[in-house]
Amino acid sequence: MSNETNKQVQQAAQEPLLEVKDLSVQFTTDKGHPITAVSDSSFTVYPGQWVAIVGESGSGKSTSAMAVLGLLPGTGKVVGGSIKLHGEELVGKSSKDYEKIRGVQMGLVPQDPMSNLNPVWRIGTQVKEALKANNMDVSREKRSSLSKALSDAEVKLKTRDDELFIGSQERPELLAAAKAALQKAGVASVDEKMATFEETWVTGSQTRWLVAQDLIKAGVPDDDAWAVAKAHVTGSNMDDRIAGLLAEAGLPDAATRARQYPHEFSGGMRQRALIAIGLASRPDLLIADEPTSALDVTVQKKILDHLHTLTDSLGTAVLFITHDLGLAAERAQHLVVMYQGRVVESGPSLEVLQHPQHPYTKRLVNAAPSLASQRIISAKERGVDAESLMEHHTKGEETLEHSEHIITVDHLTKEFKLPRKREMFKAVDDVSFSVKRGTTLAIVGESGSGKSTVANMVLHLLDPTSGKVTFEGRDISTFKSKDLLAFRRRVQPVFQNPYGSLDPMYSIYRSIEEPLRIHGIGDRKSRVKRVRELLDMVELPESVMGRYPNELSGGQRQRIAIARAMALNPDVIIADEAVSALDVLVQDEVLRLLNDLQAESGLSYLFITHDLAVVRQIADEVVVMQHGRLVEHATTDEVFDHPKRQYTKDLLDAIPGGKLQLGLDS
Amino acid sequence: MTDNTISPESAEAEEFFMDPLPGQERFVAPVDETPLKAVDSVDESEPATSMWTSAWIALRKNPLFIFAAILIVFIIIVALFPQLFTHNDPTYCNLDNSLGKASGSHPLGFDQQGCDVYSRVIYGARTSVSVGVLTTIIVVAVGGFIGAIAGFFGGWIDSLLSRITDVFFAIPLLLGAIVLLQMFRTSDSIWKVVFALALFGWVQVARITRGSVMEAKNLEFNTASTALGSTPMRNLFRHVLPNALAPVIVVATTSLGTYIVSEATLSFLGVGLPSTTVSWGGDISTAQSLLRINPSVLFYPSAALAITVLAFIMMGDAVKDALDPKSRTE
Repeated sequence: MSNETNKQVQQAAQEPLLEVKDLSVQFTTDKGHPITAVSDSSFTVYPGQWVAIVGESGSGKSTSAMAVLGLLPGTGKVVGGSIKLHGEELVGKSSKDYEKIRGVQMGLVPQDPMSNLNPVWRIGTQVKEALKANNMDVSREKRSSLSKALSDAEVKLKTRDDELFIGSQERPELLAAAKAALQKAGVASVDEKMATFEETWVTGSQTRWLVAQDLIKAGVPDDDAWAVAKAHVTGSNMDDRIAGLLAEAGLPDAATRARQYPHEFSGGMRQRALIAIGLASRPDLLIADEPTSALDVTVQKKILDHLHTLTDSLGTAVLFITHDLGLAAERAQHLVVMYQGRVVESGPSLEVLQHPQHPYTKRLVNAAPSLASQRIISAKERGVDAESLMEHHTKGEETLEHSEHIITVDHLTKEFKLPRKREMFKAVDDVSFSVKRGTTLAIVGESGSGKSTVANMVLHLLDPTSGKVTFEGRDISTFKSKDLLAFRRRVQPVFQNPYGSLDPMYSIYRSIEEPLRIHGIGDRKSRVKRVRELLDMVELPESVMGRYPNELSGGQRQRIAIARAMALNPDVIIADEAVSALDVLVQDEVLRLLNDLQAESGLSYLFITHDLAVVRQIADEVVVMQHGRLVEHATTDEVFDHPKRQYTKDLLDAIPGGKLQLGLDS
Repeated sequence: MTDNTISPESAEAEEFFMDPLPGQERFVAPVDETPLKAVDSVDESEPATSMWTSAWIALRKNPLFIFAAILIVFIIIVALFPQLFTHNDPTYCNLDNSLGKASGSHPLGFDQQGCDVYSRVIYGARTSVSVGVLTTIIVVAVGGFIGAIAGFFGGWIDSLLSRITDVFFAIPLLLGAIVLLQMFRTSDSIWKVVFALALFGWVQVARITRGSVMEAKNLEFNTASTALGSTPMRNLFRHVLPNALAPVIVVATTSLGTYIVSEATLSFLGVGLPSTTVSWGGDISTAQSLLRINPSVLFYPSAALAITVLAFIMMGDAVKDALDPKSRTE
């Protein structure tokens, strides 16, 4: 890029695209009280930039984004400040005027890919709707001013027609003509070049001037290249464009995919379709509200990498809402940290993260589980404590074999019958590992890896198809009534969903007391005392005893679930994604609590998670699972420092911001 | 980008370490503006409320509920202690008084048989309310039990019970009751009407219970409870049923009104209660021929019936709003 064009680009980028100043948003409650969700928040987005808003749930990050889009839910209202897009004030615009701006100038990629596509329409129809609603010309590309400045620099645009897309009908002729031109020009390795063309010349996405440019780069003389491009790139129709948009978003075989329904798509594919819809009208600003938080890390990485390339080439600015500091640091140039509805810190992302100044940002940076973090408490320190406590535990239980491994999983396989299908689906395929007493073993895997199925079999909630689980040397499938009750007493689960695992009808006291009652332990008075102790153990005030789950936050409910699991003094706790639904700060606290409990009472944990970063903080050993199979099994340090399998490496690579050094000051 | 390391020297770092653009300078808010709260502190500003308490708080504020509740309490008092409201015997009829005008001790006048209309309306409440309440109790007990078993155990038990439910569902409540009651024309007990209505009415409650039990049994706290050592039956009674109760209560309250109407309809058609039993339906039936001569004889029992049914249906609506805040229309 020459210096002159650089200046041009800079100039185009110099005018702020979005300017939010002193924005305040209020909601009105049922009783008519105003609640301020966002107050006096300011941030600026420049063309082509990625700006991230980071914060925990309830910090006002999504509300700010929705205010920009004019899509505040319910009683939400902008009560102060200004929102300027291209210098034009958006606050106070009528909903009709807003409709003209949304889509064309601002696009949205929503959070939940599962509920944001209409299940009764084909994917293609939903993309078409976005194109039609904004009267998009489907035959040629629409470029932002920034990308025009960028592309002008490389190829002199002669006419508007140079932005025409390749149509599906003419594509075979184009390829034939290109091959002829290459041969005529006497270019070496024609087949190789043709293969690249096959791949990059996507119908409804690649433009005439890009085709010409590709040919020129391949060695075809300028005039010939333009002649081929002009003759065979004459614009696409609606279906071509839909396929082109989906292909741009990274959906393979887009033309076929466009005819499918959302239920035939995986979560990642749906999110790609939503990205295609968000970018269909070539907005200058794309607002992405936690676009990948429902997806596996490897999928997240792929999608964001793709989105990055795409928005870079289109010159689209992205306002990226996320709770994940690492992700924000890795993707955005500018970072805005929100807390309690206010912007507490903003600035260049690396600077903010490496030298956080506001106490809240410091706290966030410290709690962020990145690769740099270590086991919260060293295994040695804990091991000493555990041994003395274990003696206490095994007293009077001489019948049970005291082995080093408390739980052993031996060639475990589980098959499920799929509806309408003959063959069985292997959810877990020949998995073996064992949990050492007083240590933590983490099972890591993405959705569908079979990790939760393993947990349920270890808990004796599911029966294995073959293989066995042994608890202190005894096969748990042989446990009947009395033995089973004893087993239940010593192996306790903590589940993922803090909203679902507590009965909403039960007070906190009854919830924690339930296991004591089931096992007939103590009288009323001693149970009250025990519940008090347990609440104290999970660092919650006694006053929550009379409360109900709906009055507590997610983190507090998870503490209650842990207290309930601890009520019977178990030896093993099986935590199935126990911290996945929590905000980083809360997650950090719960992890510390789990660690402290392990140190105090010599618990063994089987920790199921999709989040490798969390694993480093809590686990001694790691089992990596993929498609029901055990991929790698080693100590945590081994897995992180010297991963053996490609899949493990991919997983590690995909941890957002994993290699960034954060919080240098502390 | 597989390598995420960004060093200040690399080309990639250019944009990161470029001078910030106007409006994007480093900004740190003053700490006192947003003081740090303890992470995840317990909000103790409001007293503890269970689902039932908050439903009760919502109900108390609902004018619809207050109105319906006052009406229902009044109707129940009338049904229990009719003597408090009239000293006339509703079955004492003197043809001399046929269609007599209203007077001091007979505020609503007389019907064709010379019976006191006011006392018949008062005493009729007992029949209607008893039929409504008894039918509802039986329907909830039977329908709730069958629905809960079907929903909780699933499999072949569910298939069997659901088919039986479907068979009954195909028979309209009134048609079924008419056919059945033809066989018991001679009996004058209100139980025959109660049983006839219950026999064809339990289906609705069974379906609702089955659905909400199926929903509640898949909630995670049941798995949690099982893992704690709880048995399936214990889960059903301790966790699933309490969580499945709300929609059943709503349906039961609303259908109580429907059963009262059905009883009146059956008596009107002459297959319900015999004319010797004082009931609104029966009175409406005998008064229908007088519509043109003396409509007031028809009007009073009809009005009493309408108000009673309305009260129960309003109550059902109010309870629904309280138990499921999402269903509120505003």
